[in-house]
Amino acid sequence: MFAHLIQDPKNYVENPARPPEVDAYGQLTKLASTFSDVDGLFYFTYAVCVFFFVIITGVLLYSVVVYRRKTFDQPALSNVTHNTPLEVVWTVIPLIIVMVMFAWGFRGSLDMMTVPADARWYKASAKQWNWTFNYPNSAAQSFGELWLEKDKNAAFVLESSDVLHAFYMPEMRVKRDVIPGRNQTIWFNPTKLGEFHLFCAEYCGNDHSKMYAKVHVVTAEEYATKPWDKWDDANPAKGGEAVYKALCSSCHSVNGTPLVGPSWKGLFVKDASGALVGAQREVLVNGAKQTITVDQAYITESIKSPDAKKSVGFEKNNMTAFPALEDKKILGVIEYMKTLAEGK
Amino acid sequence: MTTNVPAVDVHGAAAEARPKNFINWSSGFMSWAGTLDHKRIGLMYLVGVSIAFLCGGLFALLVRLHLWEPNGALFSNAQYNQIFTLHGAFMVFIFVIPAIPGSLGNIILPLMLGAKDVALPRLNLLSFYLWLTGAVLATLAIVLGGFDTGWTFYTPYSLYTNQAVVTIGLAVFVLGFSSIFTGLNFIVTTHKLRAPGMTWFRMPLFVWALYATSLLQVLATPVLGITVLLVAFERLYHIGIFDPRLGGDPVLFEHFFWFYSHPAVYIMVLPAFGIISELVSVHSRKPLFGYKLIAFSSLAIAIISFLVWGHHMFTSGQSTYAMFAFSFLTFFVAIPTAIKEFSWVATVWKGSIALNSPMLYTLAFLVIFAIGGLTGVILGALNVDIHLHDTYFVVAHFHYVMMGSIALAFFAGVHHWWPKMFGVIYNETLAKIACGIIFIGFNTTFIPQFIMGSRGMPRRYATYVPEYAPFHQASTIGVIILAVGIALMVYYLVASLFQRKKAMENQWGGVTLEWLAPTPPPLENFNEPPVVTNEVYDYSTLDLQTMRTPVK
Ligand code: HEC
Ligand SMILES: [Cu+2]
Ligand SMILES: [Cu+2]
Repeated sequence: MFAHLIQDPKNYVENPARPPEVDAYGQLTKLASTFSDVDGLFYFTYAVCVFFFVIITGVLLYSVVVYRRKTFDQPALSNVTHNTPLEVVWTVIPLIIVMVMFAWGFRGSLDMMTVPADARWYKASAKQWNWTFNYPNSAAQSFGELWLEKDKNAAFVLESSDVLHAFYMPEMRVKRDVIPGRNQTIWFNPTKLGEFHLFCAEYCGNDHSKMYAKVHVVTAEEYATKPWDKWDDANPAKGGEAVYKALCSSCHSVNGTPLVGPSWKGLFVKDASGALVGAQREVLVNGAKQTITVDQAYITESIKSPDAKKSVGFEKNNMTAFPALEDKKILGVIEYMKTLAEGK
Repeated sequence: MTTNVPAVDVHGAAAEARPKNFINWSSGFMSWAGTLDHKRIGLMYLVGVSIAFLCGGLFALLVRLHLWEPNGALFSNAQYNQIFTLHGAFMVFIFVIPAIPGSLGNIILPLMLGAKDVALPRLNLLSFYLWLTGAVLATLAIVLGGFDTGWTFYTPYSLYTNQAVVTIGLAVFVLGFSSIFTGLNFIVTTHKLRAPGMTWFRMPLFVWALYATSLLQVLATPVLGITVLLVAFERLYHIGIFDPRLGGDPVLFEHFFWFYSHPAVYIMVLPAFGIISELVSVHSRKPLFGYKLIAFSSLAIAIISFLVWGHHMFTSGQSTYAMFAFSFLTFFVAIPTAIKEFSWVATVWKGSIALNSPMLYTLAFLVIFAIGGLTGVILGALNVDIHLHDTYFVVAHFHYVMMGSIALAFFAGVHHWWPKMFGVIYNETLAKIACGIIFIGFNTTFIPQFIMGSRGMPRRYATYVPEYAPFHQASTIGVIILAVGIALMVYYLVASLFQRKKAMENQWGGVTLEWLAPTPPPLENFNEPPVVTNEVYDYSTLDLQTMRTPVK
């Protein structure tokens, strides 16, 4: 029953974003965008609630203490059944208060729905169970991590290629459902430097809770270096490992345990002379069994069109295709797979 | 507290000497399985929904134990998703919706009206068997591989996942019919079988509440039935209504679903309001403050509740106009609800408050429902809801309503009418202790969820970022306390049936008609058909020495 804990390589504890700071009242995290209306209205309604709650429980407690029945035949002190002024007061006052809340909240949501003209447009693509981001004026994508510039309006087109998801950044106070077949939009202006959570807030299946991205809000100088497009050509295996953690680790382990898909350990092995070679694999092509040798072509095909060759033993499970994964990243992944090889 | 009731039962008759009642007038399996007596059907419901509650509670316990650790302590993600789905589906469809109308409603409504039975006893039995079929189908769905869609069955996920979704859909469909039939039955009964002299405004508020509930059941439930059928058709025949791959619209499902499920919130909560109205009055020995306003607010809620479903979808990209209307009406529906709460509190004021266990549960309800209702107002504000939607804040809010309010009202009602139903009384001391434990456990469970929710913890998460761990752990401790309280309650209630400590005819000094019937009532309820000459909740006619109202 506990085995999956060891199997499961993707783990927040290894890789948490900065724990958020809490605001002065302790109920919300510190606001990191310009949507301060949310906090204002939250604490206003909160105060109203506390006020009414204190009145209600106060009257109840007082009554219980003072009017407690002391002998079994004690009648009530009063038999009033109406008090029109009182009833009018407790209908009208709450009505006025909730109308204020309504107007305030509606105004705030209009701001959220109106994307400023100067916003930079990003694309966030959701699929079970990871996020991919596209940047304006840059061909590179990033997976499970997003970089934004401080104080610049950021707008997103939200796309889903499978089921419902939701784009939720608690510290920015924004949330929007991501709906397959519809393009949704969302925008905000990040006002604080640092790392922030991006959660999937709409249930989307097994790894819903791990559909997570780390959002970096950086200075203009750092943003100009396109941190999402960094690739260390000297160390492709390291880049490959990052791709693995962001996109593949929910279905593939690196320690030999099968998850949804086969483990990557043993895709490459060392032969008697210690040289790295591709392992032999049994696959189904259109239902017919074949034995192939793992090589760059096979892995590239597995990533771009996974159904072409289904690994025997996993034919019932489906892998999400990643047709847009850049070649250098695929090579990085292969380098990373090679580091998992065992042998002399 | 012994000072609350007369020391001797003035009716004096020993339990054995009592005439045959509805429980013992006949025996044998078929006398129950084929019964048309509303009280026996109600008792079968009571047993059934209690078992469903305990199952749902067990799932909740597993969910919370799993969340002790950020990476999950017990299950794989897939298993966790099935368990939280089971918790929601069992609690909503098999427990909360049928609980109060099916059990207490069935038993008490005809008694309160002075009737011999419900208007359509055969339909009543059919309702019960449909409920049973639904419950069995839901259990079958677990055996068939389980379902992991959440109780909301959102498309398109519910179209792609395990096939048992069709089975549970069928269960929901059948349960829906059970609910519709109960509603129909109560509407007809209320119109046709009121005792002579019982005008509409002499009906107890529990009857009013059940009446409003029944209207909702009859009008809203068919939409749920159609929706789950469409999901089943989509899965089996790919008709392309919800599946975006076939040109369907998944958001349409959300509209259909909430068009039922928001009114369903009131299907669940109105009967609870009804119970609380009764109990507040009886145990304060004071007429209900603002009786007519409470009765009308039930109807107002029933009507407006059809027009607010969009508040579950503020993040789905609705048009500005839709947001405007749904948010406005959501705030609007807060007003009749607030009126009720204020009226209950005003009823307690200057009453003669008996601190017995039904009243303690009622007071617990009043406090918890205040929190549940007020936090609902926070969620009505559009931009705040966008932040809080689908977080633990919402989870905590609706548990304050569903568990804290509805289940507590159900417990209160069970304690209140237990002596009437069984002719025995439970151990009051244990009952008070259990009520205290449940109150503490409940709040310990859900207050931390408000905090982590407003800090951004999303719901339906099998694992979570470690910064939320302290709140999750506090919540898990709370649920363990809650479980202890509930176990104690089940124990003393069941034990009372064996200890047979005799209850009084009118245990609490109520003046509604059910207290005129013998305890427990015989097959056709009243020895002589009652005639109503007094206003409802008129305690001036109650002889406080004998707890008798003059028999007409
Ligand atoms: C949704 C789960 C899932 C995700 C995410 C996923 N895979 Fe897979 N993968 C599978 C399954 C299932 C198989 C086996 C069935 C098949 O071949 O289609 C597989 C097979 C493979 C194979 C063939 C392995 C062998 O032993 O023959 C490779 C290579 C592969 N995946 C690479 C990747 C890479 C690279 C990523 C990340 C970019 C990734 N996968 C992400 C589920 C997944
Ligand atoms: Cu998700
Ligand atoms: Cu609702």
